[in-house]
Amino acid sequence: MIARDLRRAAVLIGACLAAACAAVGGETPQPPATAGQLLYGKHCLSCHQADGRGVRNMQPAIAGGTWVQGDARALALFVMSGGFDSASRKDSAEGNVMPAFRQLSDADLAELLTYVRQRFGNGASAVSAAEVAEARTNLGPAPIS
Amino acid sequence: MRISFIARVVSAAVVAVAGAAAVAADTDGLTLPAGFSAVVVEEGQGPARHLDVAANGDIYLGGGNGLSALRDTNGDGKADVVKPFGDVKGTEVRIFKDWLYVSDDVGVYRYPLKKGELAPTGARETVVSEFPKERQHADKTFALDDKGTLFINVGAPSNSCQERDRQEGSLGRNPCPILEKYGGVWVFDGTKLNQTPANGRRFATGMRNAVAIEWNPAQKALYAVIHGRDSIDTLFPALYNAEDNATRQGEEFHQIVDGGNYGWPYTFFDTKLGHRVIAPEYGGDAKKEPEAGKYANPLVAFPAHWAPNDLLFYSGKSFPAKYQNGAFIAFHGSWNRAPEPQAGYKVVFQPMKDGKPSGAYEVFADGFAGDMKDNSPDNARYRPVGLAVGPDGSLYVADSQKGRVWRIAYAKK
Repeated sequence: MIARDLRRAAVLIGACLAAACAAVGGETPQPPATAGQLLYGKHCLSCHQADGRGVRNMQPAIAGGTWVQGDARALALFVMSGGFDSASRKDSAEGNVMPAFRQLSDADLAELLTYVRQRFGNGASAVSAAEVAEARTNLGPAPIS
Repeated sequence: MRISFIARVVSAAVVAVAGAAAVAADTDGLTLPAGFSAVVVEEGQGPARHLDVAANGDIYLGGGNGLSALRDTNGDGKADVVKPFGDVKGTEVRIFKDWLYVSDDVGVYRYPLKKGELAPTGARETVVSEFPKERQHADKTFALDDKGTLFINVGAPSNSCQERDRQEGSLGRNPCPILEKYGGVWVFDGTKLNQTPANGRRFATGMRNAVAIEWNPAQKALYAVIHGRDSIDTLFPALYNAEDNATRQGEEFHQIVDGGNYGWPYTFFDTKLGHRVIAPEYGGDAKKEPEAGKYANPLVAFPAHWAPNDLLFYSGKSFPAKYQNGAFIAFHGSWNRAPEPQAGYKVVFQPMKDGKPSGAYEVFADGFAGDMKDNSPDNARYRPVGLAVGPDGSLYVADSQKGRVWRIAYAKK
């Protein structure tokens, strides 16, 4: 009787611990990373950071950014061109230049831009590969690397 | 029996809580070696950079919002009088004789320090101005020797002198034209006014950005800890991965000699291999070494991206003997280690004897950053950026997040 109670208690404690661990240690299964999230991790995260807030004086925040959530084609053109300022923004104060990402495919850029427009509290429309392709027609010839 | 057990548990808990509170009160939540305590001098002047302390204990603080003068009138370490002054928003602040030398991104200036005045009322004079306006590595930190020779850090407006800065696969410009006007230390007569960069001479080169630059009066020599390069992984993914980028490019501590070349952008000191390697932009393969003897090896190579932002040789009298003439270095903390955990965000002590390292560095003050949510530098609670020694031998530390300034003191036990 006592042994059974102890076993029950042990099972109960074990379950509680497992639940607590899951809550604390992030053991709850995460949804698989999307293509956009993987591309962000590879190309953007080291500068714009995991929370999309950038680094003050270094790289701008994309979280809550007004122009990041603005015209999709303008954003695609800027990300493919790189530089300090997009066509629609001429006031950046951060020190580090953004490289050009023209080497990414239309489909990858669409996934990536959709991701940054819909994460970090942003709530803009998805970007299609067709919109990226359209923006790409305005991209000049590739500079010498 | 049971009552006494509970009583003991409760009293132990009370002691633990009281103990924790006592520790927090003594160090403001910082982790310090035994016998040291910290008091908050001031907070509220905006993001701080460097600072200096006058012989009478008055503190001069620089930062993005401008300069301010702080005075503790009752000796408790806390500033009772705070006076913003002047119109220079920048980083460096140094007292030299009866002058307060300060800098912004394009010049070095000075204010007269008159007896009895806290905030200078005299006119600002220009020592050197008209450095080109740049957006990257533009802070003109400087050091002054005992004669007033002015050594200015002119950081390179570039990561690694690529044809296209920070562009994946872009190769290095060779020779790097940036080195003609940047990426080194330029020397001036700091007692002359209204100079331009043309009045200076390139003293040393191959330094990406030597924010932490200091004259060592005991050695009569110049020293610097240099910000190493970023992004070897994203720029050259076939050669380096994210862990390599987070760990291999040392933050190099050098004695800076006239005519010295410290290797940027052609090389960096690989702390994993323990030797200098050719940068990937210049044909490096992640192990190839440059010609022997061409570039100085560092006295110490600190971990990648820690961001050394101030250097100080301890000349005070109140810290234990081992600190005498040793080097304190304020590491502002990393951003480019992401997605690996960020690091730095601490004040380190490097033991020195006769101007050379005499042992392994140790962490002196830590706990600035807090839990830094999302591994994001902007979420750091504090970031140490400036160091100074007061007349009583206390070490002052300034923070760039909130502008907090601490006085760290030692009490013999």
